[in-house]
Amino acid sequence: MGPLFPNGLISGDWNLVIAVFIGFGFGFLLEASGFSSSRNLAGVFYGYNFVVLRVFFTAVIVAMVGLLYFNYFGWLDLSKIFILPTFLPSMIVGGVVMGLGFIIGGFCPGTSFTAIVIGKLDALVFAVGLFIGIFLFAEVFPYIEHFYYSGNLGHVTLTDVTGISAYWWAFGFTVIALSAFWASWLIEKKVRKRIKEYKF
Amino acid sequence: MHVHELNPKKTLIALLAFVILLLAGFFTMHKPLLTYKLDVKQSLAMLNNPDACFQPWQLADVLNHKDKNVVLIDIRDKFTYGQGHIPGSENISAFDLTKKENIERLDGFKKQGITVVLYGNDQLQANGPWMFFHQVGFDNVKILLGGYDYYHAHKENLMASKNDQSYLKGKARYDFPKVAAKSGSTAGKSTVKTKKPVVIRRKKKAVVASGGC
Amino acid sequence: MNRNYFILTIIMLVLAAGTFFIPRKSLQQQAKPSKLLWEIIQPTRYVSTDQVAKMIIQKDPTLELIDVRSADEYNKFSLPNSINVPLDSIVNEGGMDYFGIPGTNVVFFSNDDIKADEAWVLAKRLGFNATYVMKGGLNRWIETIIQPKEPAEESPGTAFESYEFRKGAQLFFTGAKVEKTTTKKSKIVVRRKKKAVVAAGGC
Repeated sequence: MGPLFPNGLISGDWNLVIAVFIGFGFGFLLEASGFSSSRNLAGVFYGYNFVVLRVFFTAVIVAMVGLLYFNYFGWLDLSKIFILPTFLPSMIVGGVVMGLGFIIGGFCPGTSFTAIVIGKLDALVFAVGLFIGIFLFAEVFPYIEHFYYSGNLGHVTLTDVTGISAYWWAFGFTVIALSAFWASWLIEKKVRKRIKEYKF
Repeated sequence: MHVHELNPKKTLIALLAFVILLLAGFFTMHKPLLTYKLDVKQSLAMLNNPDACFQPWQLADVLNHKDKNVVLIDIRDKFTYGQGHIPGSENISAFDLTKKENIERLDGFKKQGITVVLYGNDQLQANGPWMFFHQVGFDNVKILLGGYDYYHAHKENLMASKNDQSYLKGKARYDFPKVAAKSGSTAGKSTVKTKKPVVIRRKKKAVVASGGC
Repeated sequence: MNRNYFILTIIMLVLAAGTFFIPRKSLQQQAKPSKLLWEIIQPTRYVSTDQVAKMIIQKDPTLELIDVRSADEYNKFSLPNSINVPLDSIVNEGGMDYFGIPGTNVVFFSNDDIKADEAWVLAKRLGFNATYVMKGGLNRWIETIIQPKEPAEESPGTAFESYEFRKGAQLFFTGAKVEKTTTKKSKIVVRRKKKAVVAAGGC
């Protein structure tokens, strides 16, 4: 079956429709995980709330393991998956800029929109700032274009760069993720006084 | 903080759903019907094995029913088969031979030790399918040297072809260096041959009674 | 610590460890058996000796001739600009270096066409496209190009055209001197029956 669009199973229009539904699902999950609150989001950086770490790391390891299994079942053709090209220096700088914005503003771009939906005004301001930032980037782009496209490593995966097979990466990340979950739980227990354990 | 941060029950349910999805994947996987049993090196070695070839004179025993362990299969199309085939042979094109029922038959033949002989018009036509069936594991498949053409020409006296080597392919029939030598030799006599002139005779038009236009 | 967290952790670890037991696909990209058989049945891989001669004469840059016979036979005689890759050495190191060069058409040939066909099947299994087999091999090469036979008088015009092409090719490959030939398609003589004298008058 493979990735539906590259394999010709759906047309470009259906591709967009399915994308909309995926967007609905993603927004729902973000809100359900509590990411509309800037306290949860910035908590990772201040060390008192690790929900961001847990949710996203869970997504990473489930996706990694699931993709490998799906590839084996024949439900997916891993060679046809689109891999983003890696531009090393510009991506590092971009990450730094985004991290700064994340901590200062308390939102990341996607969660700011979920927060707007539930009515937070600071999220609205954040979104306006977002668009101003995009506009400024477009204005100065001719000057930074050279840097933007530098260091192109191509469509590489970790396996290509390090030679360690994907199965080791999946297992390694799972181990790291699970230990991070337990560690973050311990830290939270220590740091937050009034944590209620959910019993069922 | 939010109560729904710590919600292991729902997480457990979600993870179990994931595991069930993966198990469903395991059980719905089907093995492809044909897989390679010989790797490329072994396939090459098979080509040099004289046992994998069926000589025309061996057909004599098959045709008078002395040898019951041989099944003949004609891989040509129906029309050509209808025009003439080796008696007792079945007509299954190479593509049909890979259908499930036929693969099971071939498996059965292999277990019983029956030899399957493929033939086409000449050895070349059956060559590809013969190689293919060996590579997917049917080592009881042989190819008829000389094909149907040789059989048809010699069918009266197949045993005599034991001494005849003309159906064996792969030998140079000419002394290449001598024949194709680059030299100033003449390119063979060219006689003054002209194409026969074509004479067209028109038929006499019948005399029609003239009257009216 | 909740018991469920333990269960979750263990399930996840088991799944991740399970990925190690996934059978790896074979390293070489080989054609699937069903696809290979389909390709084998097509007759499009055969090129005639005339076509090969034409490509050599026109110095077609995409042509790559591969002689699959043994080295001795290759050294005794082979087609111009052909490469010797004995059939048995296809699986050795470097045996396949000449296949799969983008933009080239590989034509296999041998004494007859059986060995070349075998080489073609193996190359196809290993995933090389743009491969062909010269039908009839060198034996047919001799019979058509080096020693072309004259067509009989009743043969169609195309037989004469290909004969002329082959004579030219023979010159090219053997450098032989030519005698003037006068094989021409002669004019078609149309004899009309004399029209009977019609009585003049009327229409």
